Amino acid sequence: MIISTNWLSDYVAHGLSTNELSDHLTMCGLEVESVEAVGTDLTGVVIGHVIESGQHPNADRLSVCRVDLGSEEPVQIVCGAPNVAAGQKVAVATVGTTLQLPSRDNPDERVPVTMKKAKIRGEESFGMICAQDELGLGSDHSGILVLDDSASIGQPFGDYLSAKGSAVSDNAIDIAITPNRPDSISHLGIARDIAALTRTHVTMPALTLPENGGAISDAVSVSIEAPEVCSRYVGMLVKGVTVAESPDWMQQRLIAIGLRPRNNIVDITNYVMYECGQPLHAFDYDKVGGSKIIVRQTSAESVFTTLDSKEHTLPSGTLMICDGDREVAIAGVMGGENSEVTDSTANVLIESAYFDPSTIRRTAKALGLQTDASYRFERGIDTEGQAWAAARAAQLMVEQAGGTLVGGMVDCHPVQHEVRSVSVRANRVNSIVGTEIESSEMVRLLEAIGFIVETTQVSPPVWKVTIPSWRPDVEREIDVIEEVARLFGFDNIPEPTHSKLPNFTPGTDGVRLLRERARDVLSGAGFRETYTNSMLSQEVAEKFNSSLLPGGRFKGEVVQTLNPITTEMATLRPSMLPGLLKVIGHNQNHGQASIRLFEFGRVHTKRHTDRTMVGDYTETETLVVAGAGKWNEQGWYGDAREADLFDLKGVVNLVLSACGLSKATYSEAQSDDLTASAIDVKIGKRWIGVIIQVASEVASAYSLRSPAFVAELDWNAIAEMADGGLRTRFQAVSRFPIVERDIAVVVKRAQPAGPMLAAIQRAGQPLLKEALVFDLYEGEHVADDEKSIAFGLRFGADRTLRDKDVDKAVNKVLGALKHQFEARLR
Amino acid sequence: MSEQNNSVADAALAALKALQKEIQETVLDTRESVDEYRIRFLSRKQGQVTALLKRIPEVAAEHRKQFGQEINAAKSLVESRIEQASSSFSGDATSGPELDFTLPGREVAEGSLHPITHALRLITKVFESYGFAVAEGPEAEDDWHNFSALNFPPDHPARDMQDTFFIEPPESDHGGILLRTHTSGVQIRVMENQKPPIRVIAPGRVYRNEAISYKSYCLFHQVEGLYVDEGVTMADLKQIIHAFARTLFGEDVKMRFRPSFFPFTEPSAEVDIWWKDDALPDGGRWMEIMGCGMVDPNVLEGVGIDSEKYTGYAFGMGIERIAMLRYGIDDIRILYENDIRFLEQFS
Repeated sequence: MIISTNWLSDYVAHGLSTNELSDHLTMCGLEVESVEAVGTDLTGVVIGHVIESGQHPNADRLSVCRVDLGSEEPVQIVCGAPNVAAGQKVAVATVGTTLQLPSRDNPDERVPVTMKKAKIRGEESFGMICAQDELGLGSDHSGILVLDDSASIGQPFGDYLSAKGSAVSDNAIDIAITPNRPDSISHLGIARDIAALTRTHVTMPALTLPENGGAISDAVSVSIEAPEVCSRYVGMLVKGVTVAESPDWMQQRLIAIGLRPRNNIVDITNYVMYECGQPLHAFDYDKVGGSKIIVRQTSAESVFTTLDSKEHTLPSGTLMICDGDREVAIAGVMGGENSEVTDSTANVLIESAYFDPSTIRRTAKALGLQTDASYRFERGIDTEGQAWAAARAAQLMVEQAGGTLVGGMVDCHPVQHEVRSVSVRANRVNSIVGTEIESSEMVRLLEAIGFIVETTQVSPPVWKVTIPSWRPDVEREIDVIEEVARLFGFDNIPEPTHSKLPNFTPGTDGVRLLRERARDVLSGAGFRETYTNSMLSQEVAEKFNSSLLPGGRFKGEVVQTLNPITTEMATLRPSMLPGLLKVIGHNQNHGQASIRLFEFGRVHTKRHTDRTMVGDYTETETLVVAGAGKWNEQGWYGDAREADLFDLKGVVNLVLSACGLSKATYSEAQSDDLTASAIDVKIGKRWIGVIIQVASEVASAYSLRSPAFVAELDWNAIAEMADGGLRTRFQAVSRFPIVERDIAVVVKRAQPAGPMLAAIQRAGQPLLKEALVFDLYEGEHVADDEKSIAFGLRFGADRTLRDKDVDKAVNKVLGALKHQFEARLR
Repeated sequence: MSEQNNSVADAALAALKALQKEIQETVLDTRESVDEYRIRFLSRKQGQVTALLKRIPEVAAEHRKQFGQEINAAKSLVESRIEQASSSFSGDATSGPELDFTLPGREVAEGSLHPITHALRLITKVFESYGFAVAEGPEAEDDWHNFSALNFPPDHPARDMQDTFFIEPPESDHGGILLRTHTSGVQIRVMENQKPPIRVIAPGRVYRNEAISYKSYCLFHQVEGLYVDEGVTMADLKQIIHAFARTLFGEDVKMRFRPSFFPFTEPSAEVDIWWKDDALPDGGRWMEIMGCGMVDPNVLEGVGIDSEKYTGYAFGMGIERIAMLRYGIDDIRILYENDIRFLEQFS
């Protein structure tokens, strides 16, 4: 909400500069978002008396004037206005004054101009006698502004204007209002806090409150059929108004706070709302059928046209204001076109009511219509403020629109709001806030913002604190404690020099610590970490909800949001793959030849599983690792090499062994339309992820310029199995030499190496410590349907191995290869 | 000790001395010269070192060890010179005889962690060192944990403070399921399962249904903290947040606490730090870094904690915001674009 500093000064003489004021506001919980100077700064403009005015010797259209500015010597000023004459009182911009003058090229634009001592066609001139537009007071440039006799010579022009009730220099302070402070959505509300902080008081506009009943009773009747959602409805009637523009001062204030002036009646309802926080509505009394107001909820869906000429479909149960015949306003939201004030309105019925916050909020939400009124009602207005606001509006209408007040008021008040009080312990305040505030100071702070404090126990002090009607948010002791803390100033709360900590056991493993470990391993291995969006289009999400991948394995539906921003982001990712593919495409498109990426994140599926924490949804954390393009760059030492599936396999092994999982097995999986090839990764019998080459159609859909290889691993499964270091046990390191032997065997071409390696490891026990594949050969010296595989074997034991021990183990290995794979020594 | 053996040894040693000089000084600047060198000293039949090696048994026993060591040292020297010279010829055959040390090193691929991870780790490290445990929870959360248990009344404007993506409407079987708008729900889950004292931080991804712009994205990451115990005060909260700010922004950081509103804390505060910027008229400006406050008694009671006996504080901050402040990033979207030219700046 925007407030005007001039307006605020009507209610509180705070004596603060604008900067100090905004600091006070921010530090008491009314966060200032911006401060903007509005209007023209008239510092340096003073009232002068034209003593003489004569023809300029060198210019027909100019006059040379002697002007008394209240200082010792009158000054000479050259003036170009046709109406300047001796004896006039005028506004003079003295030397050094900066005014925002209309630009010569574009009169709507203003440029700063600083007055200097000048020689105009040979005559000295000390300042400028101003026209209306030059002072920012209007658009008149036909001549200088001639002031009335109330102007006194030498007086600052700004003071003269303020004395006349109009000010052109103002500051608009934009305040972020938190939902717990409905009392502060008005100038008077903010004045209350500022008065408390500056130890002064709020001055309310003088006003006489009418009695219930009176002459108006014959003209208007009000009945509330839904007292549970409308506890009070006050009506007042002003007859014989002339609808016209509001006076300048009111227009200036409304403009300063960002409102557009409309006419004096509507402006007054807005003005009073921004003054005290009570939303008002003005009906054209002659359009209110049967002189009746009925407040009731609709019993069926209906259509209603609001005063902005928009048609709304109202759900059944909407709270409406009706006359004898029809609906005339959506309660608390907006009036109807059928009863609004127009230029021809003569008689105005003022509505000032209390509507239930939740009801107004639901209506405003359902209609997608938030107004200044609904904003205040849904937060909770002053429960006792209706009569004052109605009377204030009526007073202004009488003053500014020439109306006549019909005596009395209609005050239909079926439900009285109870006066609330809470018990507050002074010690509790200090024990929550961590302070040693004196109880007398607490009382002073609370009373400064309208709380009534009565002592119910002297020592330690306990009070009955009565809550003012404008603070619906304060219900409990803690709410009162917050008020004390807020006004005491959070910055004044001392920081302790020591702290006590509860004992706690730092974690040793689990999803998170393993994740951090894998992050270090992967970034150390040349991979770059990404963070991608969790939201995809439904189409993409469904495409990647593949049973080959960790998310899709649950065979659930994709998870959709009910209110997406766009269809492109309507569904939660079932896999991290599409996010990574997009990143690969982006980077290849920007000239990156070598791409290695990884990301940790959650994937979502709609299916109840043993991992489900909420509803029927399953969230799985996955690690995705991707490689595309050059794995090695061309260098002076060697050739470039493209990434392939085995690079990914190596990286997966690296990550798993960093998690203490060294016994992964890999087997070919049935590929689907996402994948050109796929390898399942398992630990024992448990599936933990997949390594794939992305199908070329998918790669081209993401504009990839090279094949992409991706592993997606079920991090929850890995974390469950991983050894966080707790199970690691030292094994004695052998002090005896290792014996290496190489063997090369010939097998059928189709024979995979993996099972052979596994068989070697089994057969070589207990001496075989390590076995690896160091060469693959097909071609000359090997039959067409065969290949040669060379294995390197390393043997060791807790003694020096003799040749015959090793020979025996090698023979066992060869025997196993021959027996199981028909392998023969090459 | 026989005269003869002695003279054999002397002769052999003299021969070795003569050889050592040549072994050391022969110029090895071509492949041919290396080959010649190898043949001259090491060839099985004519190598001069080989010949001396064969003479070891002739030397008297008491000199044999020393002689053996010297001849073996000579042999090692020959071998290492051959190896060194040969390696300088490998690779590009046209390169000169000397090693070109100005050639770049063999490339080792460089990886990097995302700036959000860097910021998260820093934040986590600070709070872990203050004795906070770490907890995580689901992103798809129910209304209870995200709102109701945190003292957001139904139909209350406070719910508008966080634009929410819904997955199931409130009238559904589960009472409404949504994408969590903060990680405060994790705090509820911790309090439901643990008795005070509780001292925990909850990092994680959260979602807001807001238009994407340079300053907001549809998701971001948060770290929230919670401490519930007997005698916890707002002064304690100020102390820990100030300590945190000093670690992140320097020992002389200027910080202010100003009153604010969150449904789940009371009193509530927002924390600003003074961000120096000489380009601004005041030499800087206040930048909000987090929200915090004393846990509302309703929240404690809702999870069965006696709010008369226990009090607590809670705080929460956006990791992106911290990362953007630290690294001077002015557009949140770049964090989610993952351009390698951006990522490689955070190795």
